[in-house]
Amino acid sequence: MLLELAQWLEQHVRAFNVFSYLTLRAVLACLTALVISFIVGPALIRKLAAYKIGQAVRDDGPQTHLVKAGTPTMGGALILVSIIVTTLLWADLSNRFVWVVLCVTVGFGAIGWVDDYRKVVHRNPKGLSARAKFFWQSVLGLGAAVFIAYSTNLPAQTEFIVPFFKQVAYPLGAIGFIVMTYFVIVGTSNAVNLTDGLDGLAIMPTVMVGSALGIFAYVAGNAVFAKYLGFPFIPGAGELTVICGAIAGAGLAFLWFNAYPAEVFMGDVGALALGAALGTIAVIVRQEIVLFIMGGVFVVETLSVMLQVASFKLTGRRIFRMAPLHHHYELKGWKENQVVVRFWIITMMLVLIGLSTLKLR
Amino acid sequence: MNRKANDGMVWAEADLRGKAGRGVSARRGARSQNHPVRFWIITMMLVLTGLSTLKLR
Repeated sequence: MLLELAQWLEQHVRAFNVFSYLTLRAVLACLTALVISFIVGPALIRKLAAYKIGQAVRDDGPQTHLVKAGTPTMGGALILVSIIVTTLLWADLSNRFVWVVLCVTVGFGAIGWVDDYRKVVHRNPKGLSARAKFFWQSVLGLGAAVFIAYSTNLPAQTEFIVPFFKQVAYPLGAIGFIVMTYFVIVGTSNAVNLTDGLDGLAIMPTVMVGSALGIFAYVAGNAVFAKYLGFPFIPGAGELTVICGAIAGAGLAFLWFNAYPAEVFMGDVGALALGAALGTIAVIVRQEIVLFIMGGVFVVETLSVMLQVASFKLTGRRIFRMAPLHHHYELKGWKENQVVVRFWIITMMLVLIGLSTLKLR
Repeated sequence: MNRKANDGMVWAEADLRGKAGRGVSARRGARSQNHPVRFWIITMMLVLTGLSTLKLR
């Protein structure tokens, strides 16, 4: 909205031209999301506590987590509100990619909201059934995949890009693209949700990966940079930099309240939505493998659960002391803070490796 | 007060932690531990503001 206003004002005052620059709007989106979250955050936490929306904790989990019972949850709503308002303010609303990412984010957030609501308000520990949750995630994931697949007008927009190789790109075709997009969106969404088990563990990697994807989006949407770095040029993808800025800002502000000891948890409403947003952005800018690398913490957390379940069913023995992986390290004696900060450091390294693929190809 | 239910979950009334809930939180002794992270966030905001001067001139 502010972009349209600035374009109109530019006719009278030349200085407003500065708002047409993506980089500036991304930075302003980040700061706007921060400010919104800082203003709304404390009121929302008080409201959640007033409505008695407190987290329930599994009694078979680490005993140190029992004191977390009652911490207000569903704080992901704060992140969603910040991202949506900021994007509507600073992004080019005629861009179809912006709307795809917004719709997927809100849709997955709605699934998480229903799940959280049933868990904490109706005191139903199962929340939304796994089948129902997976069904609605599939509907949204496939819907987004089909829309992106059939709204592309360049073959490069559906190619599978292999990082570190300038010339290696596999044409997926419409069906292959839809299948892969579906798995990336739904997979990332659930991976972030699994990682969200310690104070600040999921949000900081989300901020880092989101910021890095913003750089990829900027490059992919800029004909000069894309050509120089050997990336496929995707017209309109640059606008996603604004959403990435909003994710970074909203995430950082949420971390303010979510840092150990957390005043609020994001819940499924935040985790599912943020994961889906990252997956959708990665698919649009054709960086699925880079997302896999940068989101290595999410990947390893998910793999730990899959391996633990498979091992227990097949052999009756557990590989880890507890899954997801962060609980394994807690039970090994690491403090919660140590697990969280060390996982952040690993993510920083992985994001740097991911960013190096900009040039190393 | 935490309540252990027969569904394998520990339920508790939502309470305010941190600034809003001073004196309520069961973990209030640990509250000062989030100061380093908040200082990191402030630094990131300042870095971001600094980076915006690349364009805002």
